[in-house]
Amino acid sequence: MMSQASVPPPRFAMWLLGLFTVGTEGESIVGDLHEEYSQLALKSEYGVARIWYWRQALKTVVHLYGMGFRGAPWSTTAVIVGGFLLMRFVSGLPDMMLSAVTDRYLTYWSEHFRAYVWMLNGMAIAHPIAMIFVGGLVAFVAKGRELVATITLALALSILVGVAVLWVGAHGLIGITWILWSCADPLAIMAGGIIVRTRRSLAASLPSRA
Amino acid sequence: MAGRDYLGEFEHIIVLALLRLDDRAYGVTVRQEIELRTHREVSIGAIYATLDRLEAKGYVKSHLGDPTPERGGRSKRFFHVTPKGVAAVNRIHRVLQSMTEGLDVLRSYS
Repeated sequence: MMSQASVPPPRFAMWLLGLFTVGTEGESIVGDLHEEYSQLALKSEYGVARIWYWRQALKTVVHLYGMGFRGAPWSTTAVIVGGFLLMRFVSGLPDMMLSAVTDRYLTYWSEHFRAYVWMLNGMAIAHPIAMIFVGGLVAFVAKGRELVATITLALALSILVGVAVLWVGAHGLIGITWILWSCADPLAIMAGGIIVRTRRSLAASLPSRA
Repeated sequence: MAGRDYLGEFEHIIVLALLRLDDRAYGVTVRQEIELRTHREVSIGAIYATLDRLEAKGYVKSHLGDPTPERGGRSKRFFHVTPKGVAAVNRIHRVLQSMTEGLDVLRSYS
């Protein structure tokens, strides 16, 4: 038999819940799960309690996502549409920068081809960074619904990418690298949302610690 | 029943659970009461999503309790049914009673 103090809930599941819960309601939900988890861990196996917590956390996240969207459907939609337009603008910037730099230093690149290839790879990294910025900005505007907004935007983009993959696939060969590359954008948008949400949660918890 | 002023099946179950639990009604007890009586697994997220909706409709009110150590220092959120909620449950029961009157439901349709 374990004491309640020795059975902390799975940290990653708690972190995941924390991304979607806001204010006193979020505190109550996490507290309820913590309480039932402690009861279950005392009555049964530690593993059973962990599985129960994970299942509850995942189902709860789905409900919280729905609650978040239903709570402010129009403002959330407006932020997502704004984010989509910003994404269309920002996604072209790394390529525009690359073109500008290559045009400007054409002689240099012909003499240092390896540096040119290195810069091309650098641009490949710049693209997801730009998407992290978009996700972060969307999350910043959608305060309290950071993950709802960024996940919806990422889902919308995933659908578009999926359609594009199917279309390109139907009209010729596509490489696995291209498909993986396309998946990076939605993930980067969500990463931006997670960064902003985590920063806000940390900032909110600071006064209570003091 | 007028317009959107009605209770869905799960909302109805939750209001009845709150009435049964009286002043002990918070997330954990509501979830356990529903699982015990309906034998269906319910997530805490589903409970709160529904309670949120019920509160917006004015059928339920909530208040925060004191933080407790077994909850990792977090507060309980207690719920109670408002007179409007009680009236909605009564209305549904009257409707169901009226609709099932004269029907041998269990024998005919099970």
